[in-house]
Amino acid sequence: MPERKTIQEYLAAVEEQIRWKRARPVVALELKRHLEDQRDAFAEEGSAPEEAERLAVEEMGDPVSVGTELDRIHRPRPQWGLLLLTVALAVTGALLRVLLERAGVFSHIYAADPVRTAAALLLGTACLLGAYFLDYTWLVRHAGVVYVGTLLLTGAGLLLTPRYSGGRNYYAGYLVLLFPVVYAAWLYICRGKGWKGILLAALGGVLLAALTVVVPTTAGLLTLLLAGFALMVCAAGMDWFGVGRKKTVKATLGVTAALAIFSIWRGGLSLAERLTQLLHPELDASGAGYLSMSVKTSLGLSHLLGSADRETVSPYALGVLDWPQDFLLSEMVYKLGWLPFLALAAAIAALLVWLFRRCLRQRNQAGRLIALAVVMTLTIQAVFSLFMNMGYIIVANVCMPLLGGNLHTVIDMALIGLALSVFRGSSIVRESCPESTAPSMGEGRWPHWLAAPFRNI
Amino acid sequence: MELDKSLVSGSMALLVLKLLEDGDKYGYQMIEELKRRSDDTFHLKAGTLYPLLHGLEEKGFVTAYEREAAAGKPRRYYHLTKEGGAALREKEESWNAYARAVGRVLKGGACCAGA
Repeated sequence: MPERKTIQEYLAAVEEQIRWKRARPVVALELKRHLEDQRDAFAEEGSAPEEAERLAVEEMGDPVSVGTELDRIHRPRPQWGLLLLTVALAVTGALLRVLLERAGVFSHIYAADPVRTAAALLLGTACLLGAYFLDYTWLVRHAGVVYVGTLLLTGAGLLLTPRYSGGRNYYAGYLVLLFPVVYAAWLYICRGKGWKGILLAALGGVLLAALTVVVPTTAGLLTLLLAGFALMVCAAGMDWFGVGRKKTVKATLGVTAALAIFSIWRGGLSLAERLTQLLHPELDASGAGYLSMSVKTSLGLSHLLGSADRETVSPYALGVLDWPQDFLLSEMVYKLGWLPFLALAAAIAALLVWLFRRCLRQRNQAGRLIALAVVMTLTIQAVFSLFMNMGYIIVANVCMPLLGGNLHTVIDMALIGLALSVFRGSSIVRESCPESTAPSMGEGRWPHWLAAPFRNI
Repeated sequence: MELDKSLVSGSMALLVLKLLEDGDKYGYQMIEELKRRSDDTFHLKAGTLYPLLHGLEEKGFVTAYEREAAAGKPRRYYHLTKEGGAALREKEESWNAYARAVGRVLKGGACCAGA
């Protein structure tokens, strides 16, 4: 065995044994600090500097066996099941878009092009795997760049890309789906900064919310508000800012309520009007309630299995069912029956529950926030979309995750890849704990400096 | 006193968890504390301690976080979790039962040898 005399040589020998690259620097740092402590102790006892270092290395034990032991513990945790389910759902979505919409009356306008759909599926899979193998800690380590970059990119999207006839900006409308994750990264900057941190968190949220209003996308705004609220509550549970959990929750409630009230006011329609529209579309069947009525009529004609008879359809249903993306699920019920729809909805629910459970078990705090942002974005979209496809249109322009639309699917797959990257790296990712933020789990006796942040709770 | 290695290795997790019972510590501190408390009997090598700690963290018995130690240098502190506390109690009980049994046998042997 070659003799290792210096700390650097020792650490290099340990790192050689650890196969997972991401684990190496984390493990090496802890060992390095230990070796330095030990070296300083020997030096204090009177050893010469070189001798002290040699003794410290000797004291540590065989680097190969230490490295081998650590290699055994620190392995990536593959997420094959979730990867497979994600790809399977995306393939199902692509098939549905191509096959169902080609049979429609307006297929010449809305038909999904099989080549483009296949290309999007490939791109989505590449994004899923790319994000999966990405070291997600990069996002939090460069949170400022990520946040400002998103603002600039959305700004550029707003200025340079086309708008729908309704006024919604095309690309910026998609970028909004990334806002909750960007917000989670932003929260990392605010960690341990007390009330200043909470103020920064609120400002970061307000700025993103303002952008969704400019796009404009009510679905994006609501998703950001709900996901942002969940993230802040999760952060409060970890006493993220160091001002106490209850105070963080109260501040979060205040800011979210203010934003919600502003949004309703800004939306123009009164809440009562919206509720009436949602619950009684028949009162304005040829106006605001047209879409809801069309969907409900079609669903009413649908069978348990197999296509509804088109001959008996009211004029509404013919038009709306051929709308791409947004109404893919009601179209599926109408053309294939309730059972295939229920099976697909159950598969999506299973994916979301699976992701959520993994997220709750995540020990790394930043990782938990990033994964939660992904799960919330997908879940909120799924719930809005499900309601819409049953004829209850809370907000327009939402797609079922992984099913509706090419670009939408690509973004969904990238987001899921990011969450899986968190779960994959959960055995190694470490974090620093600023002065005022103590670990939140477990019990035990706390030293006074650790107990201090909890006194106000 | 040099101890038989196999006697020590099995109980090391118990000792490490016990050290964390009265406060969070970082690795170097644990080794020093163990030396002190055992009157220099247990000289735990760092190369044994860190894989052990990381393994306990994987099992959820300890959590780790970083903060500055007294000298202003950042150190990785370990904290005993609720599950870790339960595991500690269980290990302590079985250790005590084992030690009592060994004690009885040794005592019996001494008594018979003396008879």
